[in-house]
Amino acid sequence: MEKEKLEVLIIDYIDGKLSDADRLSVEQELMRNEDARKLYDELKEVIDLMENSGELTPSTKLKAGFDRILKEEAASSSATRTIYFRPTFYRAAAAVALLVMSGAIGFWISKNNQQQQELAELQREMEITRKQLAETKQLMHAMLGNDQSASQRIRGVNVAMGISGADDEIVTALLKTMQMDPNTNVRLAALDALAGFQHDAIVRKGLVDALSKQTDPMVQINLIQLLVQMKEKVVVKDLQKIVDDAGTMQAVKDEAYTGILKLS
Amino acid sequence: MKNRNIILLFALMLSGFVQAQEFKINKSSGRLELNISRVTVEGHDGNEIIFSSKNQKREKDERAEGLRLVNSLGLEDNTGLGIHVADKGNVVGVYQLKQTHSPDIKVLVPKGMIVSFKHESQYGGEARFINLTNEIEVSAQYNSIHLENVTGPLTVETTYGSVTADLSPTIKEPVSIVSIYGFIDITLPQSTAADLRLSTSYGDIFVAPEFELDVPAKDGMKVYGGDKITGTLNGGGTNIDLNCNYGKIYVRKK
Repeated sequence: MEKEKLEVLIIDYIDGKLSDADRLSVEQELMRNEDARKLYDELKEVIDLMENSGELTPSTKLKAGFDRILKEEAASSSATRTIYFRPTFYRAAAAVALLVMSGAIGFWISKNNQQQQELAELQREMEITRKQLAETKQLMHAMLGNDQSASQRIRGVNVAMGISGADDEIVTALLKTMQMDPNTNVRLAALDALAGFQHDAIVRKGLVDALSKQTDPMVQINLIQLLVQMKEKVVVKDLQKIVDDAGTMQAVKDEAYTGILKLS
Repeated sequence: MKNRNIILLFALMLSGFVQAQEFKINKSSGRLELNISRVTVEGHDGNEIIFSSKNQKREKDERAEGLRLVNSLGLEDNTGLGIHVADKGNVVGVYQLKQTHSPDIKVLVPKGMIVSFKHESQYGGEARFINLTNEIEVSAQYNSIHLENVTGPLTVETTYGSVTADLSPTIKEPVSIVSIYGFIDITLPQSTAADLRLSTSYGDIFVAPEFELDVPAKDGMKVYGGDKITGTLNGGGTNIDLNCNYGKIYVRKK
């Protein structure tokens, strides 16, 4: 068998394309002929290699498909610029996403607006409250300063008591009234009001300071009772002074003595 | 005829007698400051303050004829009633001439004047305030204070004396009554809407059973104990503040 014919036969044999008779004759040839056998081995190796690398090269069908898509793409891109999602599912998803997003943005904007409005409202209200507080304070000062009418001054104290969260200005005004007002009832009302702010440091100090200065028996008694209730132990010395003072009224002395016993 | 003349003559004499016992000041606003130890103040509709003495006419001292009464206070009896009245514009001051003794004076006060009573000596008698819609301020040591058919505002303080107060249905706030040793006896109309604050350190507090004193809960607890009771009558309203130390407090229904 000449070499070229043998080559073709062997290739077909390896590919398994031979008829039964040809395959038998090729096998006989391979058994007899040393050269044929060598050729078979070489060809087998080459064909195997080719078959393995064949996976990397695109098939003709794929190539044709690619070319078609390329052509289509070239044609469509020149016509419109619409972004096109081919499967309906993506289109629907995109629509839903757009809807959700626009909804979210709308909500965010409206919420932002609402917050802004609320903030403005709050600021307005705070402004009004501030104004009202200023007016109330003015009223309080005017009432506390009314030297004609004790009842007006008591009402001034009640106004001060009505202001929630007393600040230094109010506390100072009340402390002054408690110590300086010519009328006992007004001083007592101020003391009563201050009792409500007893946790305020300025009030505590003011009350402690007032004890050694106060000479009105009624206020002294109520002040001692308040300081004892506040467990203000620093006043024990002042209480002792009150007890020792010959000029102190008996009721005040008794209260001071009770206070010393309770505090120590 | 003769009888009628006698009656007329008698009436004339009587009116002359009454007139001689009166002292008037034209004033219907400002403050009336009474610095005397006993007095009865009544409200009236006129525009003048009218002072009169409830004492029996004193015997005339013939030896004092032509002489001027002077005293250590430097005050003069400018009323013929044994008191000194000083008109200081917005304030009318009334002073007794002796530290220990004062005639029993009755004063008719126009509406709209603030009535202030102030007395410190231990010779203080009773001070009575009747039918007044005026603001009343009392600051006393030994005087007992009697208030009858008054509206307030009231700020009353007496150290050793006691206070009886009968308030009219229209109460003007505040009502603040304070005594150290005396009692406070107050009578209120049943319809009174008030914020009551009653406190006594060593005394007792009595309230008429008709009054439903609503004690608000504080921190979830209603506090009845202690010596202070804060509560509302008929939903709350006028501030009524009664403060005793050794005395008792009585709240009565009118």
